Amino acid sequence: MHKPIVPLAIFACALVACAALPLRAAPQGAPATSATVAITVAGAADLQFAFTEIAELFEEQTGHQVTLVFGSTGQLAQQIENGAPYDLFAAANIKFVDDLAQKGLIVPESVALYARGRIVLVVNKQSGVKATRLQELTAAEITHIAIANPDHAPYGLAARQALESTGLWETLKPRLVLGENVRQTLQFVQTGDVPVGIVALSVADVPEVTYALIDDALHQPLDQALGVVSASKNPAIAMDFARFINGERGRPIMRKYGFLLPDEIR
Amino acid sequence: MLFNRDWTPLELSLWVSAWAGVLALVTGTGLAWIFARLNFRGKWLLEGTTMLPLVLPPTVLGYYLLVALGRRGIGPAFEQAFGFPLVFSWPGAVVAAIVAALPLVIQAVKPSILDLSRETEDAARVDGCSEWQVFRFVTLPLIRASLLSGGILAFLRAMGEFGATLMVAGNIPGRTQTLSMAVYDAVQANNLDLANQLVLLLSVITFALLFIALRIGDQVRRGSEA
Repeated sequence: MHKPIVPLAIFACALVACAALPLRAAPQGAPATSATVAITVAGAADLQFAFTEIAELFEEQTGHQVTLVFGSTGQLAQQIENGAPYDLFAAANIKFVDDLAQKGLIVPESVALYARGRIVLVVNKQSGVKATRLQELTAAEITHIAIANPDHAPYGLAARQALESTGLWETLKPRLVLGENVRQTLQFVQTGDVPVGIVALSVADVPEVTYALIDDALHQPLDQALGVVSASKNPAIAMDFARFINGERGRPIMRKYGFLLPDEIR
Repeated sequence: MLFNRDWTPLELSLWVSAWAGVLALVTGTGLAWIFARLNFRGKWLLEGTTMLPLVLPPTVLGYYLLVALGRRGIGPAFEQAFGFPLVFSWPGAVVAAIVAALPLVIQAVKPSILDLSRETEDAARVDGCSEWQVFRFVTLPLIRASLLSGGILAFLRAMGEFGATLMVAGNIPGRTQTLSMAVYDAVQANNLDLANQLVLLLSVITFALLFIALRIGDQVRRGSEA
């Protein structure tokens, strides 16, 4: 009966040793000083690349630490309603921020437009499919099309609107594969499991796919707004980061990832 | 401070699973004893409810927990009393893992309590043992092996917990991102190198522990045949 104790003890020791391994999914922040503050930013999935870069720059300059959480705008908004400990919310659609502000969960004075997004048609390079226009998606060899879930992901909703405007929605509906957010949608196409998809321009520049812009007259504008979460314990730093995104250091990065900036929106 | 520190996914998985494993083992053993020994009105309902997490979709379980522990439930009162929130923090992940692991503990422990000969316990009583002494020196040693395998199963179930935890605790790097969350995150970001490392690590840990749990289970069976 005492036998299992020995391997168990060895295993427990091995586990403790494992725990010391520097296996980090989150990037290590700046060295801690007394003034260092850690904030958590909930960002729409289309911001994954741009915000990762901006957050690194912000950490370098201020010494504060930024943890980024990405998801669909609708899911993040729902988490904030349930008390998720986020300091700043950067949505892919201003409507979600306005709704939360109305419920008192976002500081109304902090709400600001920071970008307008575009959707693109992405095609896996190895799929053998050639498509640069939505009309080409009806081809029989395109068995599956990935879009983000239109119910809670703004880029998925824009994709749906574009397909509806071109009269393709009903035809293509049976072929749709819904990603939880625009980043997962892209991943489906990156791996080649789905040959084509509609995602945000800001995440489309990856080696596995080619992309083509979709006319932005086909969908409601993807006006992205941010706001400081009312329950934040570090609202000042969250506001600093919001200004940083919308300031002279953040804007060039946003532009690099294909976003239109607030003053460029007609 | 446990609430401000930055956890690696592995540390957090081990931490959450250790808490959940121990708490599920204690609660589950208590419930197993009640279900094996007592008869009362509505016992079937209580017993059925504790089994539900085995068959409910994790999203349903997660939603129940989110409503019960969040702003619409005991969340505000809990935070006021204890100073930390249950949802979107690691204690929320512990609660989700306990609920998911409970039926496994009960299933592992209840048969061995039913197998116990009441006469052995009665003999101890005749010899003047108090009820606590009976439990501590007679019952507990006799069901020790099933407790061990129940505890390991609970720990493993907690390591593997994903769906309900995602809904209750979220996927916040450094705070609530356990190994299984980190795998999900890495795959979504198409970071397949990281995904491979994490998947390998998770598989090795769980397989090794499962192997040990099965060996213990074998010994229990052999012991009862002898």
